[in-house]
Amino acid sequence: MFKELAENLGLDEDEFRELAVLIVDTAAGDIERLEEAAQKGDATLASEASHSLKGAAGNLGFMELSDIARQIEEKARKKSIEGISEGIALIKEQVNLISKELNG
Amino acid sequence: MAKDQRFTILVVDDSPINRQLLETALSKEGYRIVKAPDGPTARKLAEAETPDLILLDIMMPGEDGFEVMKKLKQNPNTSSMPVIFLTGVSEIDSKLTGFDLGAVDYITKPFHPLEVLARVRLHLKLSIATNSLIADQANKLKQISKAQSSLLVTPSQIPEANFGIYYLSLQEAGGDFYDVLSISQDIFGYFVADFSGHDIQTSFLTSSIKALLKQNCTPVYQPMESIKMINDVLTEILPPGKYLTACYARLNRKTKEMTIINAGHPPAVYVPKNGTPRLIMANGDLLGIFKDVVFDKEIISTTKGDRFYLYSDGLVESQEKKILWSDGAPQLLEICDKVRDVPILESSNQIIKLQFGGEPKREDDIVVLGIEV
Repeated sequence: MFKELAENLGLDEDEFRELAVLIVDTAAGDIERLEEAAQKGDATLASEASHSLKGAAGNLGFMELSDIARQIEEKARKKSIEGISEGIALIKEQVNLISKELNG
Repeated sequence: MAKDQRFTILVVDDSPINRQLLETALSKEGYRIVKAPDGPTARKLAEAETPDLILLDIMMPGEDGFEVMKKLKQNPNTSSMPVIFLTGVSEIDSKLTGFDLGAVDYITKPFHPLEVLARVRLHLKLSIATNSLIADQANKLKQISKAQSSLLVTPSQIPEANFGIYYLSLQEAGGDFYDVLSISQDIFGYFVADFSGHDIQTSFLTSSIKALLKQNCTPVYQPMESIKMINDVLTEILPPGKYLTACYARLNRKTKEMTIINAGHPPAVYVPKNGTPRLIMANGDLLGIFKDVVFDKEIISTTKGDRFYLYSDGLVESQEKKILWSDGAPQLLEICDKVRDVPILESSNQIIKLQFGGEPKREDDIVVLGIEV
């Protein structure tokens, strides 16, 4: 999976792996902030956290991850955090897939 | 350019992944990458690293991309750096705002590294072309400035003309011009002129005037004839709207006769060795507008030690202070009186010091030509 994504970006697989490590790390931070937002009902925080995740994932070609983040962001911009918990669960799932690929 | 010949690109993005991605993709192609996670860091690095190009994310917490851009443009050290914005697909308005602020291009996110590379390459090429054009033009102006100052005669080149000069050219190609000619063993011509406008054309014209003076200020012609002939040629060669004011003084050191002709120029100052300074109020038409011009001339029987000062309006006028020469002239007479014991080589500089209380403010070209009989 990484080989293809790397080729799409014109990168070597090793270079792409470094970026994948980085996205797993930063996603952990974004997930933390999303959970905080869900707890406090803070739509602004949810919007910021999902925005950065959406952009990073999109740029690397992790489109499912990017889409989930985009949906959260769109709702949060309208001051709604409805369904955010389900969203966070889906994000965790996607990030786990990347982690597995990194370790596998 | 970077110290090591490579092009330096400053990447500004709050997302560490985007920074890393851009660094990986661009450094592979030989670019040197400097990264900033936020606006203030970006501005510091822009000054310290003088990048050849900046990739700037718009949506950043704290100082956003627009704010960074505004501040970069306000700082003369960073204002000319090309900036490419990184913007989300949905942010159409922000693209326009970006261009308004002076961005050279934008890249939509999610971006593809190969697109970034292509745009970076394109804008570096454009920037190189523009910079070399500017360097080329600046170089030409410097050459003109050099050529022009070699047109300007110095007192040590004709010591027998016994004159002193102060010359300040406001721009690379000045609008003021002066010349001193050896017409014969005992006859000398002194010429001060002021062109309308400052542009490159002006400095080409000064070399024409220099040539015209040499051709027409000969013992055969009376001063009035010389200036009239010069005017006739100028009306042929000057572009519309271009003219000059001038004062021409011809001194016969044998007979001690000084002839002064004025073509719309501020009046020359006459400082008799044993008398009160006065203005030589000769009127005359401007040069270069029409033929059949009329000038007043004044002929003065001088004695040894008498002095004359020809000058341009920059000495006595100030647009900023709204002073016309007619108002500034009385003070000038006083100053010329004060410097009568200063050697003629130095007196022009001294007049400047007294008139401006030091170095003049660079508001206009200034020339002061002092002549001692």
